[in-house]
Amino acid sequence: MVRSGSFSVDSSATHQRTPSRTVTLGHIQPQAPTYRTVYCNDRESNQPVRFKGNSISTTKYNVFTFLPKGLFEQFRRIANIYFLGISCLSMTPISPVSPITNVAPLSMVLLVSLIKEAFEDWKRFQNDMSINNSTVEILQDQQWVSIPWRKLQVGDIVKIKKDGFFPADILFMSSTNSDGICYVETANLDGETNLKIRKALERTWDYLVPEKAYEFKGEIQCEQPNNSLYTFTGNLVVQKQTLPLSPDQLLLRGCSLRNTEYIVGAVVFTGHETKVMMNAMNAPSKRSTLEKKLDKLIITIFCVLVTMCLIGAIGCSIVTDREDKYLGLHNSDWEYRNGLMIGFFTFFTLVTLFSSIIPISLYVSIEMIKFIQSTQFINRDLNMYHAETNTPASARTSNLNEELGQVEYIFSDKTGTLTRNLMEFFKCSIGGVSYGCGVTEIEKGIAQRHGLKVQEEQRSTGAIREKGFNFDDPRLMRGAWRNEPNPDLCKELFRCLAICHTVLPEGDESPEKIVYQAASPDEAALVTAAKNFGFFFYRRTPTMVYVRESHVEKMGKIQDVAYEILNVLEFNSTRKRQSVVCRFPDGRLVLYCKGADNVIFERLANGMDDVRKVTREHLEHFGSSGLRTLCLAYKDLNPETYDSWNEKFIQAKSALRDREKKLDEVAELIEKDLILIGSTAIEDKLQEGVPTCIETLSRAGIKIWVLTGDKMETAINIAYACNLINNEMKQFVISSETDAIREAEERGDQVEIARVIKEEVKRELKKSLEEAQHSLHTVAGPKLSLVIDGKCLMYALDPSLRVMLLSLSLNCTSVVCCRVSPLQKAQVTSLVRKGAQKITLSIGDGANDVSMIQAAHVGIGISGMEGMQAVMASDFAIAQFRFLTDLLLVHGRWSYLRICKVVMYFFYKNLTFTLTQFWFTFRTGFSGQRFYDDWFQSLFNVVFTALPVIVLGLFEKDVSASLSKRYPELYREGIRNSFFKWRVVAVWATSAVYQSLVCYLFVTTSSFGAVNSSGKVFGLWDVSTMVFTCLVIAVNVRILLMSNSITRWHYITVGGSILAWLVFAFVYCGIMTPHDRNENVYFVIYVLMSTFYFYFTLLLVPIVSLLGDFIFQGVERWFFPYDYQIVQEIHRHESDASKADQLEVENELTPQEARSYAISQLPRELSKHTGFAFDSPGYESFFASQLGIYAPQKAWDVARRASMRSRPKVPKK
Amino acid sequence: SSTAASSTVGGGGSSEISGVKKTSKRPKYSRFTQQELPACKPILTPRWVILTFLVAGVVFIPLGVICLFASQGVVEIVDRYDTDCIPTSSRNNMVAYIQGEGDKICKRTITVTKAMKHPVYVYYQLENFYQNHRRYVKSRNDAQLRSPKEEHDVKTCAPEDNVGGEPIVPCGLVAWSLFNDTYSFSRNSQQLLVNKKGISWKSDRENKFGKNVFPKNFQKGAPIGGGTLNISKPLSEQEDLIVWMRTAALPTFRKLYGKIETDLHAGDTITVLLQNNYNTYSFNGQKKLVLSTTSWLGGRNDFLGIAYLTVGSICLFLAVTFAVLYLVKPRQLGDPSYLSWNRSAGGLQ
Repeated sequence: MVRSGSFSVDSSATHQRTPSRTVTLGHIQPQAPTYRTVYCNDRESNQPVRFKGNSISTTKYNVFTFLPKGLFEQFRRIANIYFLGISCLSMTPISPVSPITNVAPLSMVLLVSLIKEAFEDWKRFQNDMSINNSTVEILQDQQWVSIPWRKLQVGDIVKIKKDGFFPADILFMSSTNSDGICYVETANLDGETNLKIRKALERTWDYLVPEKAYEFKGEIQCEQPNNSLYTFTGNLVVQKQTLPLSPDQLLLRGCSLRNTEYIVGAVVFTGHETKVMMNAMNAPSKRSTLEKKLDKLIITIFCVLVTMCLIGAIGCSIVTDREDKYLGLHNSDWEYRNGLMIGFFTFFTLVTLFSSIIPISLYVSIEMIKFIQSTQFINRDLNMYHAETNTPASARTSNLNEELGQVEYIFSDKTGTLTRNLMEFFKCSIGGVSYGCGVTEIEKGIAQRHGLKVQEEQRSTGAIREKGFNFDDPRLMRGAWRNEPNPDLCKELFRCLAICHTVLPEGDESPEKIVYQAASPDEAALVTAAKNFGFFFYRRTPTMVYVRESHVEKMGKIQDVAYEILNVLEFNSTRKRQSVVCRFPDGRLVLYCKGADNVIFERLANGMDDVRKVTREHLEHFGSSGLRTLCLAYKDLNPETYDSWNEKFIQAKSALRDREKKLDEVAELIEKDLILIGSTAIEDKLQEGVPTCIETLSRAGIKIWVLTGDKMETAINIAYACNLINNEMKQFVISSETDAIREAEERGDQVEIARVIKEEVKRELKKSLEEAQHSLHTVAGPKLSLVIDGKCLMYALDPSLRVMLLSLSLNCTSVVCCRVSPLQKAQVTSLVRKGAQKITLSIGDGANDVSMIQAAHVGIGISGMEGMQAVMASDFAIAQFRFLTDLLLVHGRWSYLRICKVVMYFFYKNLTFTLTQFWFTFRTGFSGQRFYDDWFQSLFNVVFTALPVIVLGLFEKDVSASLSKRYPELYREGIRNSFFKWRVVAVWATSAVYQSLVCYLFVTTSSFGAVNSSGKVFGLWDVSTMVFTCLVIAVNVRILLMSNSITRWHYITVGGSILAWLVFAFVYCGIMTPHDRNENVYFVIYVLMSTFYFYFTLLLVPIVSLLGDFIFQGVERWFFPYDYQIVQEIHRHESDASKADQLEVENELTPQEARSYAISQLPRELSKHTGFAFDSPGYESFFASQLGIYAPQKAWDVARRASMRSRPKVPKK
Repeated sequence: SSTAASSTVGGGGSSEISGVKKTSKRPKYSRFTQQELPACKPILTPRWVILTFLVAGVVFIPLGVICLFASQGVVEIVDRYDTDCIPTSSRNNMVAYIQGEGDKICKRTITVTKAMKHPVYVYYQLENFYQNHRRYVKSRNDAQLRSPKEEHDVKTCAPEDNVGGEPIVPCGLVAWSLFNDTYSFSRNSQQLLVNKKGISWKSDRENKFGKNVFPKNFQKGAPIGGGTLNISKPLSEQEDLIVWMRTAALPTFRKLYGKIETDLHAGDTITVLLQNNYNTYSFNGQKKLVLSTTSWLGGRNDFLGIAYLTVGSICLFLAVTFAVLYLVKPRQLGDPSYLSWNRSAGGLQ
């Protein structure tokens, strides 16, 4: 309810005068002008129209389109096109290599990719099938018959049971509930878990049992299928009577039925025409930044290739001499006509020859690695499994794993992401005494930062714990308050809590079963608190509040007290308080007031300075603990004063103009000379571990922005609680709540308002920016933070101010944007993404975060809590905000590291291989003769060096997971992109040049002349096989040299690859095949191995070629160590504790007293900020509607409406 | 219940219903999925670096000595004769001379500087001859060499594929350009026999060249490229051809001509009567005659030995240098002050 409230308030805040409540998730589709007519319960009549069936298909391909479409997808990748071209070239006579060299790897790569596609599509297909085959009961011949969803047709009468999902968009006809209502959960659509009420037309209420429903013959005329979730227009024609239909009668596919035994309805839209399917958007496919940089690398390699070929072509055209008799060149040879021709053709010859420089298997290898990373590592990480909601993490795309390792900006939603949207009564202060001994998350965070171990709380026995109440102090519980110094004040506090509110009780009037319906969870928490203190509010009539009080007169005595509510002085954002005037049964007249501390303190009666001072201290203490505070006060009224005031009040209430303003003024008259009772502190329950996570992330160099629909105070409060803002920071607040703006707004001229706000925003931005830059120049200046609200943001995002906003916000370590609309969330995200070229991550849980999630580089949805909309749009889904630590610092960092290494290794490997070929070209008269056998060359990438690099991509770890989290700063290497810089590329390129030279020169030089004792000499293929063997060994062993963590899979694959080469060589050299090749390498490996030369060279060459890298690595680590290397060294003697062990350790408990004591001993600054709580969005409209003031309401309203309806609305006196 | 956390206060316990699932989705623990495979985590500490260099040095230097020793034990005599074997009168136009008719006998005298144990291997060495040229290498057909059935399969052999429609066996440029200089040696007027048997690799002889494949139409067309073949001998016995057809890797190469099965003594004067037939003059090729003994490691080639020695010495040198550096400017292992965020005070930006 609150979430939806924020949604609506947001949009009304930004698009001020647009009353439209249409909310769609995708783009609004233009609606067809026609309408559809559905004959209910009459399949024959519907036949001619051919409505779509109810089966859905989300697969990309079918049996026939798979090959063409799948191949087309593959060839959208430039590298594959390139290799296709090369393959075509290698079919022509100018090619030095047989087509197999290029065709084999290409087909292998395509095959693997296609298999992967097919596998994924198969899973989608199975998913569809299971949905299509789930059953639903429809009406056939006066009885309910189960059929699969896919057979459902438009016009069918269906019966949905409790907790069942609606198989299609259904017109709600009747339900088992008496008054034709049913409750619907729409979590799958919009992420809201609160129940919505649907109400059937009264005319159709009776069609509930099959015999009756069978008689139903209606005709639905309604709009054509569209994707607007919250609108529906149409008419139901029953027996010549036309009844208008509204969204209230439409049950959408994807929602489920709650708290209703069953309902009966008629199918209106089916399958892909349902609103939810029309809304299904294909998440824009995102490519990681690293992959984009990889493209640049590939282009560079391509340029290198062209250069190499040009050199060769020029060389060839110079060197080729037709007088070389042994070449048998005649003028008839078209390709050798003149120098230019020779150069031209040689160029393409060389392109085919050197094509291996572009690593063809790179993409497919990376894809495989990422796929395993996401399905095996991320999805199955126990550290990211949330037991309470039974939700493991889920990587919905495997494209972005390494992007997680480079995130610099996190944009987070508040409600549901940082907080649980769960308000709990946590502490209070009564008459200058502070009660409540819980420890908040933020306090735990502070404690942890000071190195104290914080354990699970141990609660005193008998402490009551329920939703909304997390208070533990034996001094107040069970009537013990009567022995406290101020029992009367305690009583007033409890009464205030029990009376001064607008909560509606629902359900049984017993403390266990009652459910409080409140506009804001704060209110419910306060009433719950009163209940637990022995002031059980159980019934409300328009004029009365009934409270069951215990322990008041004497211990254990229970009595029901009815308080007459005379006036309710509403809460609104300017008043920041709420008052109730009530008459006790004994005639006592009291005004109870609760509100923001500053507002209450202004209105207190004189005196009581001590209590005031102490209470203020308490408030500050609560605030700094991240609690939301309220001050409570009361005042006894004498009847005469009250009567005269009440007249004014009634007058104001019936005023036709400026009613609100007048009401406020009247309220001021009575809300004065209050007596302070104390204050309450509500914990806006953060998600578990949020402050710690944020602290860790910010140490990792990640800047966190909170984008929320909440009000500024709430947002700041949460920012404090999450450790995003603290008092050491310099805060810039750009708010639209300034006098100048308010003044302009009162004048009401739109153009004027816009101008004023823009001026104001510009001025503020400029001022802040100057200050920010000033403080940046000073040494150790304070960290900066920016708070801006949606209205200002709208103007700040204007192109003229955008640059200023960007440079200001980039200087801030944390930014809080409050009251922003979903669109603005996306705008802010793209501002940083596009404007600053930084890697961004958005995390959210609701439908209002979808745009933001899609706008960022990486979108993360919170799963397991509310709806699926955010998750469906996200790239990764995790159950808790705190899992970001694992996702980013462990998985992201490792993925980044791994992918970088894999890419670099591929680059190095192929460059080395191709360069030996290139060096050889110089000694063949640039003729483009291939150095290696065709099969050697084609298998080099896909077999002999394929697996170790995948193992590297899976198992490489610089430091263990626990160290990654312990040293979050290591993450900055990813933000700086330390492992994929041109400098790194240059190092690898140098290494490739060096190694290829060593391999080529050493072998060719040393193999000159006789190579065995019988004087025999080597031929071309002997030498090349020798070089190839050295290369395979060197390149494979290089993997071990670059690995920080060598598992047995490393040994197996490296050894296996070398072995595979030898085995292949033994077999391949040992056989003769009749036609397809010349037996160039026949017996070569045996010849080689019959010489001592072979073994001496084999020892020397790989070692020498790796020596260069070894020296480089040694020197680098010694003199220019990376951070991770230092960390490795620090912990070099520690063995990895298994995760299972760690989990055990975390659960260990130590005495609570020690912890509490330790925490209380901590130095802590008192906050200037006393988190004032009472401002949940949706609040105003709730009261406003009670008062009869127009306020935009949500189309689908919440359960509260039901409770209101059940009690006849009586105008207040 | 803990799932209460997920529902709003007003919502009224909706998620409890959906939250209760019988099947736990808790991932199973495995070392693989939790990325905790046991692993060796080598750290390239200075000690390891020094040790590695030391070991490499210690292993390589003796190996280098062994290799060098083997190489140095080989006696090798090289005689370049391409220019010298052209009569002075014809040196302006060597190509015309070599392409002209008549015997081109040339007499060379070689002095043995060091005793050479038999067998003494006779090589010819060609330079600037691109036997590895793309066009050259591919101009052959191994199937044809192996089996008489494939003799018509000459399509890869262009331009030496057929004469007047008849296939050439062996076809192709490689065979066509067969080296045809011949050498005969005498010491003190006493003929030194050159054994031309077993100069090719056994695998070539036995499997790549057929025992029942005889030369056909070889060197019949114009122009004549090089040596001719005895048409009555199967290819498997034409060892000169077999040697020649194992194309060399580099434009400077040696090929085995034969073996002299007699010891040569220091100071012996060997007279070589050679037929200078092969035309290397049109492309500035060089021809050399090489007499060489072998060691277990092959012919005279110091490269391996020198390489081992050099690398070994470099390793030792590096070991010493690193050790000195380690002592002079030690870096404490795992000193947290080296961490970048500790080095730049204030950390972020």
